[in-house]
Amino acid sequence: MLNVEGLVKQFRIRTGLVDAVRGVSFSVAAGEILAFLGPNGAGKTTTIKMTAGLIHPDGGAVYVDGKNLVTERNAVLGKIGAVLEGSRNLYWRLTVLENLLYWGTMRRVSYRQARSRAFELLDQVGLTDRARSTVQTLSRGMQQKVALCQSLMHHPTVLLLDEPTLGLDFESSEGIKRMVRTLSDSGTAILLTTHQLDVAQELSDRVAMIRGGQLILEGTTKAILEKYSQPMYSIISAIPWPLNLVDTARKVMGNVAQVSPDTLQLIPQDGDTDAIYRLLNALHPHPLLRVERHQADLAEVFQQVMSKGALA
Amino acid sequence: MISLLLAEWRRTVVETIRYPLETISSMMTLFIVFAGLFYGATYVTHSPIGGGRLTTVVVGYAIWMTMMAATGDLGWSIQNEAQNGTLEQVMLVPWSPVTVFLVRAFMAILAFLIPMVVVVVALLIMTRVHLDWQWLALAPFLAALGTAWGLGLAVAAVALLFKRVGQVLNIVQFGLLFVILAPFARFHAVVWHLVSMVVPFNAQVLLLRNLLSHTRGSDWIWWESGINLALIATMGILSFVGASRIARHRGILGHY
Ligand SMILES: Nc1ncnc2c1ncn2[C@@H]1O[C@H](COP(=O)(O)OP(=O)(O)OP(=O)(O)O)[C@@H](O)[C@H]1O
Ligand SMILES: [Mg+2]
Repeated sequence: MLNVEGLVKQFRIRTGLVDAVRGVSFSVAAGEILAFLGPNGAGKTTTIKMTAGLIHPDGGAVYVDGKNLVTERNAVLGKIGAVLEGSRNLYWRLTVLENLLYWGTMRRVSYRQARSRAFELLDQVGLTDRARSTVQTLSRGMQQKVALCQSLMHHPTVLLLDEPTLGLDFESSEGIKRMVRTLSDSGTAILLTTHQLDVAQELSDRVAMIRGGQLILEGTTKAILEKYSQPMYSIISAIPWPLNLVDTARKVMGNVAQVSPDTLQLIPQDGDTDAIYRLLNALHPHPLLRVERHQADLAEVFQQVMSKGALA
Repeated sequence: MISLLLAEWRRTVVETIRYPLETISSMMTLFIVFAGLFYGATYVTHSPIGGGRLTTVVVGYAIWMTMMAATGDLGWSIQNEAQNGTLEQVMLVPWSPVTVFLVRAFMAILAFLIPMVVVVVALLIMTRVHLDWQWLALAPFLAALGTAWGLGLAVAAVALLFKRVGQVLNIVQFGLLFVILAPFARFHAVVWHLVSMVVPFNAQVLLLRNLLSHTRGSDWIWWESGINLALIATMGILSFVGASRIARHRGILGHY
């Protein structure tokens, strides 16, 4: 269980001060995946690094299983695993296995346990046959998987992933996603940042959006998607809608619009569940392809929240 | 602690011998340099090689090389690891960074000394020379090594903050050369005692010279060697701890 309370960080740069993070609080429960989303420079990496103790915050505190990162540093670090953005996280001259054994024993796992753990993790990401290759001979995707294994050698209860699927192909991304899901099922608290909103939507239980160092939206992924979905229907025709039919429909229902040659859109009055049936009756028996209620995805939510702010 | 030592030892060994060609070529270089010293000494002194003169040359050179490695290793490794992205992972392990980097410095020197000892012993056997080595001289050697690590930590502190170690190291090593060659001993006794406590290596090198030329060195050089070690090591540890704190505040442990 990860608790982050009121983190604040200001950086001094040549041209003045940057408020990188301005009072960010959140928590991630065991088995939960929190997607941390925001545009470039929003303060995601700074927050993650403060959570891992790599950047010292100006204010606020980090707790893992109730232990304070500052006062019980080594105990907390023993419970955290992290794969950091862009950096390689591994020694390139060492083999995959040597890396895992090194990082495992550095994190106080016994050599023997580290060995069996290494093979268990490599098996999970499907890299057992590359155990004896040096890291520099691996593809980007393989390296990222090994970096993930590296961060898991000591069975952390909290996992921090900064853009884990950046620059990976479909296959590799899927592998990482599968692993993340398995970990959360087995009770790891996971905080991940990504710019790939589809990845976030697929994986996350909860979402936090940050802009200019402040959280502007936080909630369960399901509730957020629900909240940002409009009570709006699209009726998609198999062939372009004939003009006369559109006119008839408009006469029956005031709030129908043709948004593309084959798509009609209906925005019913609040609570008017009958509207869609009246419209369909008016269109009868024109061949339809689909009728669907609008379902927001994270990309839409993100765009709206970043440009207009969060809904009340 | 044992596990930390073993982990670092394995990593050091693997990184040194991963590419046999590199290992062989660095062994060859060592061999050529030392062979030059062994045979060169004979040529210069016109006497059959052996005895005290050669001991001073060979031992002096070996110690100089060791001190240079010990002052430079930590800084270089921090600079490289910051660039390669492993430094932040090192800072994430549940050990204090000073402990980790001192263990690394120790392993790096072992990996440095072992081939050197092998080469020197091989040359001793080949040339049938008897080096006039005193085991007691190990004491000032170790004191000098500790002092060098202290300096190395200070250089590493600079590397943590500026990620650029080359120039600093040039200045430091030039300074050391000056310190070792400078005739401080000609100063007024009080000044010289003060200087040798503060300036790294001075007392330790003098003690080493004394021991190798069979004079046991006066009590005060022993004291000054120890005080110098304590002083420089403390300075190194404090500056490293301070620098890692500043780096954490500025968010520059990685490669921002
Ligand atoms: N060490 C530092 N020194 C000075 N400024 C910094 C430092 N680290 C980050 N910043 C600044 O703080 C702000 C937040 O940066 P951060 O890296 O946290 O953003 P991010 O959300 O991770 O962005 P991205 O999506 O590009 O990774 C940016 O304006 C950045 O320039
Ligand atoms: Mg970032």
